[in-house]
Amino acid sequence: MNCKKAQALLSAAVDGELSLKEQQEFEAHIAKCADCQREFREAQKTKNIIREKIVRFKAPQSLVNSIIRLTETTTG
Amino acid sequence: MKTERLPETIQRNTPMPATPRKNRQPSSGKTVSQQERIKQEEFQEEAVAHINALYNYALHLTMNPDDANDLVQETYLKAYKFFDSFEKGTNCKAWLFKILKNNYINKFRKNAREPGKVDYDLIKDFYHSIKDAQSDSEDLNAGYFKSLMHDEVYQALNSLPDEFREVIQLCDIEGFTYEEIANMVESPIGTVRSRLYRGRKLLRGKLNEFAKKYGYNTDTEEST
Repeated sequence: MNCKKAQALLSAAVDGELSLKEQQEFEAHIAKCADCQREFREAQKTKNIIREKIVRFKAPQSLVNSIIRLTETTTG
Repeated sequence: MKTERLPETIQRNTPMPATPRKNRQPSSGKTVSQQERIKQEEFQEEAVAHINALYNYALHLTMNPDDANDLVQETYLKAYKFFDSFEKGTNCKAWLFKILKNNYINKFRKNAREPGKVDYDLIKDFYHSIKDAQSDSEDLNAGYFKSLMHDEVYQALNSLPDEFREVIQLCDIEGFTYEEIANMVESPIGTVRSRLYRGRKLLRGKLNEFAKKYGYNTDTEEST
């Protein structure tokens, strides 16, 4: 695998979306390519920041209640 | 009750029943049919369970709690009316997200911001309106203050062009698979991969300072 191919697979490697064969080839490449390995780790960190720091709001109870009422008053 | 017609985009993109639902009960009747009760229970179990995720997605799209409320309500109204077309055992959350996205496009597209253009006033207004709405929920209140601490991340995410921000939201925040995202954004999986790669690369540049400040190392060491 060359760097171009590794970059094409990089996001899928971060997200666990590679096939077993792709995963093995990707791992073999980053084991010997410092640039691709660094880029892979940076992408992992970026994903972690987004996952951990973007706040998840709870839907207001008034909205939940209105959705429940909606199913009780609407005929599909 | 008047039968609502789905917008063309949803009709085209969402599986619909081959025939109209039978045995409809007039809404004027006080008794609810057994069939309708079963549908209500199934809908609450399958669909209403995802309300927090839908609300967050709507907030990110509209940047306004009132608009997010409306969008979520309209989404559930349509989803309930066409719940028979939902294929049991498939991903209900992805089905709801697609309906919400189509609703959003139909309703707000005209006022959509230009891709890649950051409107910091809009982001500020978003926080203020969240604060105004905080009496609705203690959780929202707590979330508001947390978000203030980390609004650099919000700003970085919102500064991305729409097509990159969207796949990052769906993948990293909502946890959808590439196949589900490809279906939602109506693009091949290869395009989803490439948008995630390029989007994260752009984000990385914007989050360098944040990563250093909050202990996310940007060299080759593991993040904390």
